[in-house]
Amino acid sequence: MLYREAGQFKTSYAADQQLFPIRQDRIGVLLLLAAAFLAVPGMASEYWFSAILIPFLIFALAALGLNILTGYAGQLSLGSAAFMAVGAYAAYNFQLRVEGIPILVSFALAGLTAAGVGVLFGLPSLRIKGFYLAVATLAAQFFIVWCLTKFPWLSNNSSSGVISAQKVEILGHIFESPREKYLLVLTVVVLMALAARNLVRTSTGRAWMAVRDMDVAASVIGIRLMPTKLLAFAVSSFYCGVAGALYAFCYLGSVEPDGFSLEMSFKILFMIIIGGVGSILGSFLGAAFILLLPIFLDVGLPWLAELFHLPFSTATVSHIQTLVFGALIMFFLIVEPHGLARLWQIAKEKLRLWPFPH
Amino acid sequence: MNMKLETLVIDPPAPTRKIGGVILDLQNISLRFGGVKALTDISFDIREHEIRAIIGPNGAGKSSMLNVINGVYHPQEGRIVFRGQERRQMEPHMAATQGIARTFQNIALFKGMTVLDNIMTGRITKMKSTFVEHALWFGRARQEELAHRRKAEEVIDFLEIQHIRKTPVGRLPYGLQKRVELGRALAAEPSMLLLDEPMAGMNVEEKQDMCRFILDVNDQFGTTIVLIEHDMGVVMDISDRVVVLDYGKKIGDGVPDEVKNNEEVIKAYLGAGH
Repeated sequence: MLYREAGQFKTSYAADQQLFPIRQDRIGVLLLLAAAFLAVPGMASEYWFSAILIPFLIFALAALGLNILTGYAGQLSLGSAAFMAVGAYAAYNFQLRVEGIPILVSFALAGLTAAGVGVLFGLPSLRIKGFYLAVATLAAQFFIVWCLTKFPWLSNNSSSGVISAQKVEILGHIFESPREKYLLVLTVVVLMALAARNLVRTSTGRAWMAVRDMDVAASVIGIRLMPTKLLAFAVSSFYCGVAGALYAFCYLGSVEPDGFSLEMSFKILFMIIIGGVGSILGSFLGAAFILLLPIFLDVGLPWLAELFHLPFSTATVSHIQTLVFGALIMFFLIVEPHGLARLWQIAKEKLRLWPFPH
Repeated sequence: MNMKLETLVIDPPAPTRKIGGVILDLQNISLRFGGVKALTDISFDIREHEIRAIIGPNGAGKSSMLNVINGVYHPQEGRIVFRGQERRQMEPHMAATQGIARTFQNIALFKGMTVLDNIMTGRITKMKSTFVEHALWFGRARQEELAHRRKAEEVIDFLEIQHIRKTPVGRLPYGLQKRVELGRALAAEPSMLLLDEPMAGMNVEEKQDMCRFILDVNDQFGTTIVLIEHDMGVVMDISDRVVVLDYGKKIGDGVPDEVKNNEEVIKAYLGAGH
């Protein structure tokens, strides 16, 4: 009863194929956007912006990028962090070396640079699949980080490759406070998420999913495998590259190559596995889960320990935190291997009838 | 725009079924995988608008033959002449652009996608818009999506699967999946349709439905149909000509009655002692 589709008649294909065909989805998304753009900036503290909301949005964008490649096009990749590094360093270099280039343009160029590198490392996907491809993308992970440390030109000769991001200035306005940076990141992420949604509901997305589900059949109905797979690598790396640029310019301020480690790539991979492979919403849910849960446990566990007068040292609490985190991941994967996005979908299906039995 | 009206405006073209000239000529095709001879010196032709069956015991090379026709396998010897032109280098996706569509023996649908998306994917060669237009929902993207949706709905109506258009195909029963796969092939508006055991594993009613759809496709759209099928009743009923393969060699070719009385065919099916 709470989630009713009954009575919403579509009288044209245009109405049936819009971005959010169901009325309550439309309203929900608009409310969410209104909250994110209007309510949150007024309410959240500086800590919330710089430690929670900004990294959440940036990792959600990176997860979205990986989800396009792995979830929609079915090509497993372990190089997301490296493509973020390409984005971060490219944006830095464009700012540094091109006089008067607007920051947003250098973000876009950073994305395109990452896309180019992504296509290059996507070439093996034409021959190999699955885990073997994952190993090939692992090469990207190690090679790019090595490259950024090895060639000082890329980090303007700074020691051990550390770069300090330049000021973020758009139309003469300098984005300095966490609140302003949050709004900038939010805008970029929302626009790119909408673009991703458009991509996956049109023939580009159908071609990706066709290649994912059954590549022989896909080629027989006229999909050319090579351009389709490489496009997925390009778009995915573009998203990761922009996320990397935002990571350097709007979150950390200064980054080093080793920061974009394999561990970070795995973190992004876990986000889409937990959130939902092949779901845009899932990228956001997964990023929230992986980033927010440790913070939540950080605050919650000591509080619980105190409540029950348990003699836990801080060290024990942090061990328990890791245990609980791991256990929760396993629990979610067993209960719903298709991720949080599927849980949400099931909830919606149930809410169609609930509280009535049928 | 009213959707009801839109979908009802399909005027079935006047029956075009009149068998024409040779559209595909296969001459002395031999295909080997290493030392295994899949096809040996096979020649036959397919005429426009006919229903041409390929039969034979298991492992006779029937599916290999279809794979040769639509460019998945490349025969080592032989000539393939399609619409008067000899075919040279061929990639599978090129067959699709030339109007050859097919279904598979083991259903090869895109399981994670809905019925509608599967059928829309069948029209992919007819779409011109680029991914940038898709991302921005700009230019040709919107127009094309709507125009092709309409075509996809015509296929959905034709195959009577309106009620499942938004269902992920992985959840559908076997018989319906076979029908959706036919739909995906039809969505490309092919001039030649290759069907690899479209009725395998179906019950009698499902088979009858499938036969009706195949005959209707042939009749209404004039599509040339190449059919592999094990159900001899069906084959003899609906096909115009039958070619029989055994161990990669052609042992019979002709109208159903001829083939039925061919000594070698009887031997291949029932054994020499019969």
